[in-house]
Amino acid sequence: MTNLEKYNQVFVECLEITESALNADLIYNSVEQWDSIGHMAMIAELEDTFDIMIDTEDVIDFSSYEKGKDILAKYDVEL
Amino acid sequence: MLSGKNVILTGSAGGIGKKTLKALAENGANIWACARKPTKEFEIYIDELKKKYNVQIVPVYFDFQDEQQIKEAVKFIRSQKKTVDGLVNNAGMTYNALFQMTSIEKMREVFEINFFGQFIFTQYVVKLMMRQKSGSIINIGSSAALDGNSGRSIYGASKAAILCITKSLSEELSSYNIRVNAIAPGITDTNMVEASMTEEVILETINNTKLKRIGKPDEIANAILFYVSDFSSYVTGQILRVDGGLG
Repeated sequence: MTNLEKYNQVFVECLEITESALNADLIYNSVEQWDSIGHMAMIAELEDTFDIMIDTEDVIDFSSYEKGKDILAKYDVEL
Repeated sequence: MLSGKNVILTGSAGGIGKKTLKALAENGANIWACARKPTKEFEIYIDELKKKYNVQIVPVYFDFQDEQQIKEAVKFIRSQKKTVDGLVNNAGMTYNALFQMTSIEKMREVFEINFFGQFIFTQYVVKLMMRQKSGSIINIGSSAALDGNSGRSIYGASKAAILCITKSLSEELSSYNIRVNAIAPGITDTNMVEASMTEEVILETINNTKLKRIGKPDEIANAILFYVSDFSSYVTGQILRVDGGLG
């Protein structure tokens, strides 16, 4: 499984959405499950999946599906 | 009481910290013993406890004024792939001075150690607890945060901030089955008290307690044990005064 596939899988499972929803419109609070609690659960899942520890500033900045890709790049996760 | 549980204890080389370390080990917990820097005396103390109680105690050294060090410490704990059942935020510094004799630099230092450092550390540790959907966080406050003693405005304010966080976090983390409580010790027989209070003030404070004596570090450690253990499984968002009835 590629890193992008792993990244997508975390979104699909944590937010209970289909892959077709993974696009630039997917932002924080745009789907019911991506509230603050869902956000923290997804961050935890991403940390486990890629074995990283995301800084609090980046947890706050992680505002969309696309932005998340930029943030993971800071932790040497190439998608 | 704590067999199989893994607990992070900060400030473990201090007066209350060392007694808490012993109490946790005595009751079967494995411990990450956090302290600012290694000393031979502390390493020997840890080795003795490990042998005596057959538990794992791993020292973790970092400075609460250095965010990068805090992050590295949590990374190290995380790398051990164990559950984190308890976090005891015991690290802190004391400071006594009249409000108008307190510099902003000193105020920042006190808050950096007593509040901001612990805040950041807890943020990272909470993420580990959220994954496992369990945990108990114990913040060590102070009766000074509740009573507002003369000369303790800054110290008391930094501890009051910790008590406020306790209440808010207990709400925010309840859905993850993480309990958050605090202990507010009164005057306790530690080097920190001896170094920061005159004998006259110590005696006056003792006289203001109902039990008419100074508290022992073991008595604070016992309250911490209660909160770490499942004996407090239905207790969250509480501040327990352990002060001999100060007031």
